[in-house]
Amino acid sequence: MGFLSLLARNRLALGGLIVMILVVLLALVTPLLPLADPDVTNTAERFQKPFSDGALLGTDHLGRDLLSRLLWGTRLSLAVGFAAAIMAATIGAAIGIIAGFYGGRTDNIIMRGVDMLMAFPYILLALAIVAALGPGLMNALIAVAAVNIPFFARNIRGITVGIAHKEFIDAARLSGMNNAKIILSEVLPNVIPVIVIAMSTTVGWMILETAGLSFLGLGSQPPQADLGSMLGEARSALITNPHTSIVPGAMILIIVMAINLLGDGVRDALDPRLKSGALSRPMPATMVRRDGPIPTADDDALLALRGLKTQFHVKDRVYKAVGGVDLSVRPGECLGVIGESGSGKSVTALSIMGLVASPPGVITGGAVHYKGEDLIGAPYEKLRSLRGDRIAYIFQDPLATLHPLYTIGDQLIEAVRAHHGMGRAAARAHAIDLLKSVRIPNADKRVDSYPHEMSGGMRQRVGIAMALANEPEVIIADEPTTALDVTVQAQILSLLDDLRRDRGLAIIFITHDFGVVAQLCDRVAVMYAGKIVEEGPTNVILNAPAHPYTSRLMACVPELGQGRRELAAIPGLPPVVDNLPEGCAFADRCQKVREGCRAGTIALAAHGASQRVRCIAPETALPEVSA
Amino acid sequence: MAGYILKRLISAIPVLFGISIIVFVIMAMIPGDPATAILGSYATPENVEKLNRDLGLDKPMVLRYFIWLGNMLQGDFGRSFSLNREVLDEVLERFGATLVLAGTAFVLCSILGVAAGVVSAARQYGFADKAITFAVLLGISIPSFFLGMMMILIFAVQLRWFPVSGMWPIYGARDLSALISHLTLPALALAVVATGVIARLSRSAMLEVLRQDFIRTARAKGVHERSVIWRHALRAAMVSIIPVLGVQAGFVLSGAVYIEMVFQWPGVGRMLVDAILKRDILLVQGGVVFVAACYVMFNIAVDVAQSMLDPRIKT
Repeated sequence: MGFLSLLARNRLALGGLIVMILVVLLALVTPLLPLADPDVTNTAERFQKPFSDGALLGTDHLGRDLLSRLLWGTRLSLAVGFAAAIMAATIGAAIGIIAGFYGGRTDNIIMRGVDMLMAFPYILLALAIVAALGPGLMNALIAVAAVNIPFFARNIRGITVGIAHKEFIDAARLSGMNNAKIILSEVLPNVIPVIVIAMSTTVGWMILETAGLSFLGLGSQPPQADLGSMLGEARSALITNPHTSIVPGAMILIIVMAINLLGDGVRDALDPRLKSGALSRPMPATMVRRDGPIPTADDDALLALRGLKTQFHVKDRVYKAVGGVDLSVRPGECLGVIGESGSGKSVTALSIMGLVASPPGVITGGAVHYKGEDLIGAPYEKLRSLRGDRIAYIFQDPLATLHPLYTIGDQLIEAVRAHHGMGRAAARAHAIDLLKSVRIPNADKRVDSYPHEMSGGMRQRVGIAMALANEPEVIIADEPTTALDVTVQAQILSLLDDLRRDRGLAIIFITHDFGVVAQLCDRVAVMYAGKIVEEGPTNVILNAPAHPYTSRLMACVPELGQGRRELAAIPGLPPVVDNLPEGCAFADRCQKVREGCRAGTIALAAHGASQRVRCIAPETALPEVSA
Repeated sequence: MAGYILKRLISAIPVLFGISIIVFVIMAMIPGDPATAILGSYATPENVEKLNRDLGLDKPMVLRYFIWLGNMLQGDFGRSFSLNREVLDEVLERFGATLVLAGTAFVLCSILGVAAGVVSAARQYGFADKAITFAVLLGISIPSFFLGMMMILIFAVQLRWFPVSGMWPIYGARDLSALISHLTLPALALAVVATGVIARLSRSAMLEVLRQDFIRTARAKGVHERSVIWRHALRAAMVSIIPVLGVQAGFVLSGAVYIEMVFQWPGVGRMLVDAILKRDILLVQGGVVFVAACYVMFNIAVDVAQSMLDPRIKT
C-alpha cells in the first residue's frame, strides 16, 4: 500500500500510468469499435488528409483508413512488446536462477555464455537472429526477446546468489526438499519482484525494438501492420504526405514515454535512498535561515561563535543538532570540544565555514565572528576566500576526505593555488616543503603518490599539510586522530602542538578523548545534545569537573597505573535531538537528578573564577572565598 | 600500461572465438539450404547438389566452422552472391561510412550527455535540472527512426538547412563541408537516445559523488564551486560513467542501422538489412562478425581508458 501511495505521489508516474491504461483499454476494445477494415485498400481515396470525411486521421498510400490501422497496429505492437518482455523475463530468469542457485561450474559456463552474448552490439544480434529465422513478426519477437535474455539472466543471477546462501534455504534443504522444489517455493517468490521491476523498465525498449525491426521490413509483413511497419511504409511518402508518418510515430512515442515515466516511478518508489531524500546534493554553502536577533561581535577573540544554531530538516522532523553554542578562540590558543558521538560537536565545527551538508542542514540562528565580521550568511565568494586560506579544516579519515584520483601533490598545489596566484613549479616546491614540515619522509617522492598508496598516519599528515598550505590563522581539527593507532596519534598531536607554538595558530580541536584534550588543549568545552554543558581551563575541568556529565564522561576513561578501577559506562543514551526535553537534556541519565532539573531553560552560569557550567547542582562546591 | 593492454587483448581472444561460434550457430539454424536460395526454386537437384559441394555444405558442421574461421583469419570472408563481390571488400567500404556516422554520434552523445548530466546534478531541482530531465525523458522515448524522419521534414524539407539524405552530394565536390552538411542530421538523430541515457547516468553518478567526503574537503580548501563540480566531482564520477559510454557505443554502432535506412546512408547496417532480405548469408555472417569484433576491440580501449583514469586499478 505504501508503494502504491508513493507511486501516486509521483505525479509524472501517475500520468504515465493513466496514459498506459487508456492505451491498453483502447487496444482491448479495438475489435468492438465501429472502425473501417484496416486492410481494405481503396486507391481512389489514397492520401486523404486528417479530418477528412469518413477518415478522421486520413488514409495511407493504399487508401486504407489510418485511424483503424493505428488502433490495430497499436494492439499488435503492445501485444508483441509485452510478449517479448515476458518471454525474455521468463527464460532469462530461469537461466539466472539456475546459474545463481547451483553456482560453481554451472554458473561459470552459463555466465560465460551470457557475457559472450553481451559482447555483441545489441541490435546487431537481433539482426543476425532475424537473418537466420527469416523476416516476420513472430521471428522479430523471438529476436528481441533473445537479445534481452542476457540482461535478465545477469540481474536475476545476482539476486539469486544472495538468496542461495540464506538460512531459510539451508533449512529447506535439511527438511528434505529437493532442489527443484526449493527453487520453486523458496527462491522464485523472492526474485519475482525484481523480475517485475526489470520488466517494467525494459518493456518500453522491447516495444521500440520490435517496432524498429518492423520498420526495417524485417518484422510484420503486409498486409498485417504494427506501428513500426506503418512507419516504414509511410517513409517513402514522408515529404509529400507527412501525416502518414506522424500518426504511427507519435503513437510509439506516447506509449514508450508513458512506460518510461511509469518505470521511473516504480524504481523511485522502490529505491529507499530516494525516499529519504538522501540523494540530495549538498550545496556549496550551508543554507542560512536565521530568525531572531543576530548577535553582534562583543569581544576581541579571533574566532567567536555566538548562539549558533544548526538544524537538520528531514521531511517534517527537525533535528536540533546545535542548539545555541558559544565558543571563542584566541591566537595561539587551543580549544578542545569534547562530547559523545551525536553531541553536535562536528556539526558545530562544520557550521563555522558553512560546510554542513545542505540539504538537510540549515543554520537557523546565531553568528560566527571572525575578526569581528559575521561569517554566517556571508556571500559565497567571501566564505570561499576564507576557507582554507584563513580558516582551515583537518578531517577525520583521510582516505575518504582526500580525492582518490589525484596525487597528494596535485591536491596540495590546488589548495595553494585556490587562493594565491603561484606558478605550478613554485606551488609544487611549496607542496614538498609542506610535506617536509609535517615530517613525511621522502617528501619529494611522496608528493606524486596517490592517497591509497599511503598509510593512515601518512595520509593524516597530508591532511594537516593541506590545512597549513596557506598559513591559516585558525585550524579546525575534527577528530583528526580517531582512526589512528596510539603512537601515530601521539606524533600527530605533538606536531600540531609545535605548529601552534611556532606559528601562533588558533586550534579548535574536536574529540571524544580526554587524553587528547589533556595533552593539547588550553581550554575545553564539553558538549551534550547540541549544547555546551561546561567550559573552562583544561586543568581546572580535569581536576574538578562541575557538570555531572563531565565527571561521568571522565570516569569512562581508563587510566594506566591506576590499578583496578571500575570503568563506568553512562547508562542510557543521549536524547534524540528532534524532541529535546525541557530543562537539562542529561537529566534522564543523571544520578543527581532533582526537582527543577526538568523545567525551564538552564543557563550556562559562571562557576568559580574561570569555569562555566550548565547545571543547577554542580558537582564541586566552590572553594570558600576567604576574606 | 603496455603489459595491461596486451593482457586485455589476449583476454579478447576467447570472446572473439565465442562471437564467431554464436554467429555460425545462428546461421546454421537457417531452414532450407542456401544453394536453393541462391539458385532459386527452379534449380535442378544436380545443380543444387553441385553448389552445395562447392560451398562446402556437404561437410560436417564442426569442420565447416573451422574452414569458415580459417578462411576468415586469412581475410577470406567469402563472396557475396547478391553483389557478386568479395564480402570483406564490401564490409570494409560500408563499415567506413558507418564509422563516420556512429563515431560522430558517439562523440556528440558523450560530450552532450555528460555535460547535461553534470549541469543537471549541479543544479539539482532547479530549472535547468527539470528542463534537462524532461528533455532526457523525451530523448529516450522517441524512436530514432521517427526522430530522423521528423528532422528531415523540418530541417531538410521545410527549412532547407541540410540535404535530405545520402552521404555525398550527387553532383559537386566530395569535401569536408559537403560531408558535414550531410552528416549533421543523421549524427544528431543517432546521438539523441544515447545522450539521454548518458545524461541520466551522469546525473546520478554526480549526485552520488557530490555527497562524498572529499568534495567537502575540496570546498573546505576554498576551491571554487565550478572547479569542485567539473574537476573534483566529474573526475570521480567518470569512473562510473566510462563503462556506460562503452555500452552506449554498442547501441550507437548497431542503432545506426535505423538512421542509415532513414537517411539512405551507405553504411554496414543498411547492407545487412538488404542482405537479410536477399538471404545473402555469407554477407550477413561476415558483416556481423566484423562489426562485433570491432566492438570488442573498442571495449578494450574503454577498459584501457578507465585504467588510465583510475590509479587504483592495478595495471
